[in-house]
Amino acid sequence: MPAVTAPGRRAPWTRDPAAAAGQRPARRRWPWQLVAGVAVLVAFAGLAIAAPLFGTPVHQDLVHGLSPTGVPVGPSSKYPLGTDLLGRSELVRLVYGIRVSLLVAVVSNATSIVIGSAVGLLAGYFRGPVEQLLMRFTDVGLALPYTLAGLVIAAVMSAGLTRVIVIITVLFWSYPARLVYGEVLRLRKRGFVEAGEAMGASGLTIVRRHLAPHVTSMMIAYSPLNAASAVAFEATLSYLSAGINPPTASLGNMISDGQVAISYAPLLVIAPGLAIMGLTLAFLLVGEGVKAFNPDLRRLSWLGR
Amino acid sequence: MARALIRRVVFGLIAVAGVVVLAFLLEFVVPGDPAKAIAPRAQSPAVLASIRAQLHLNQPLIVQFAGYFGNLLRGNLGTSYIQRQSVASLIGPRLLTTGVLALAGVVAEVIIGGALGILATLYGRVRALISAVNLTLLAIPIFVLGLLLLLVFGFQLSIAPVTGGAGPAQLVLPALTLGLIGAPWYAQIVADQMQDSLASSYVRTAVSKGLSDSYILRRHVLRNVLSPAITMVGLDLGSYLSGVVTVEVVFIWPGIGLLAVNSLHNLDRPIVMGTVIIGAVAVVFFNLVADVLRMFVDPRTREEM
Repeated sequence: MPAVTAPGRRAPWTRDPAAAAGQRPARRRWPWQLVAGVAVLVAFAGLAIAAPLFGTPVHQDLVHGLSPTGVPVGPSSKYPLGTDLLGRSELVRLVYGIRVSLLVAVVSNATSIVIGSAVGLLAGYFRGPVEQLLMRFTDVGLALPYTLAGLVIAAVMSAGLTRVIVIITVLFWSYPARLVYGEVLRLRKRGFVEAGEAMGASGLTIVRRHLAPHVTSMMIAYSPLNAASAVAFEATLSYLSAGINPPTASLGNMISDGQVAISYAPLLVIAPGLAIMGLTLAFLLVGEGVKAFNPDLRRLSWLGR
Repeated sequence: MARALIRRVVFGLIAVAGVVVLAFLLEFVVPGDPAKAIAPRAQSPAVLASIRAQLHLNQPLIVQFAGYFGNLLRGNLGTSYIQRQSVASLIGPRLLTTGVLALAGVVAEVIIGGALGILATLYGRVRALISAVNLTLLAIPIFVLGLLLLLVFGFQLSIAPVTGGAGPAQLVLPALTLGLIGAPWYAQIVADQMQDSLASSYVRTAVSKGLSDSYILRRHVLRNVLSPAITMVGLDLGSYLSGVVTVEVVFIWPGIGLLAVNSLHNLDRPIVMGTVIIGAVAVVFFNLVADVLRMFVDPRTREEM
């Protein structure tokens, strides 16, 4: 049994030895997670931007793309990741799929965080009926069974990017709203809100000038985690034919197309699967890196499954 | 405390009612005519009209909703359009099947996650490895992990069944999928809580009293882990019972998630409504149960509620 000691922690009452000795504290270095995550994301973004240089994702090569018996061909110099069941280059589709994933992650992350923060700020500051209405609405959002609700909303809209972004926004705003609301309730107990009111500032001014900046760092730390779950959820929706439908390539629908061939062409599942993992992992690493800057945010966790 | 509990129950019921309204409205705007889904070959408009009249689909939305809500309050979820059976009798056995999977999944994730968290806290050498494993598992979407497990253990090694169904042999892979996906969360909670209590003054006191390491771990450290872990189990049971849609689709596990997906394609509104409502009830109910259990285990949380 190893000794019971606190790993890598200083007791709270001791001070930084460097500071105590009157020296400047050691320069803070960028956390490696942040560097690695950003590097991978930049690489993925480069692929996504350069996608048209790889070829067209819907081009079917019926001569070389399929074997004489109609089975997808394996990796070759012409098709580095082989072809899919329709004789289309898997690599080109992969790159276009990454494009969709990144776009969805960035846009739906922004929409859900902006809506969620606004709801949390207003409910936390104004209290009373506003708070009741907004927070009960948030409860509804949190009680929705995710995937099922996504499928029901999907049935109402036509397939495409807009549908995915709307679904993710509708399902993802409530958690940041809850986080911000809790934070605002804590902030209210500190003097500056009262001071602002005493100086005659209007409610909206206090929310905008005094409360919003305080929750920004929390939302910045939360957004990579939110983006990671958006990538995963887009793939899930497309996998269940409730997101982006073929022939448009998306990592999720590539897997659902390829899974019937899993026993003889496993690359059709593995390649897009690894791409999703790489993207999600990169966002998660950025999240870890941001959290390393601010230990108060250490407990912030990822939402999606 | 009793008042706080009643408050929570009321908020929970409001959230469920909100989900009912939302799901009903959404269902109603889903394009497609259920009458055509029931009688695809019916040519005459009179037949379709009579089907619609039978299902009360020709009445105004508000009347239909009042009828549905009234039945719901009496515990009646309606009758399936296609299968001509009561929704409750269709969902009941499926809920049991999903329940088995949910329970197995929660047990698996508690074991795997607990082991990872304890190992990471006590043995410094494996900490980096375990956090890498955690991050990777967090990054895999659930259906990708399911397909990969199916590929390796089902198709390559042939030691797990690849045909769907609800037998004990078919339970292993889906439960393992849920276990691996959920494990990092438990690992994180366990590690965080253990580190906090190891750094605390009560553990220092216990050490200076000369208590053995294993006694301190059992009695003072691991007990503190219980309270957040219970909340997590409650959250998971709730969300898994609302149908682990993707796992059920990948492994063709005949639970309510699979039922919902199929019914959505058949425009069988009463079943989709039923599954969404049951999902919301499960989420709200298990959260509440977890909070109550937590109050018994951890007296500190009693005031918070």
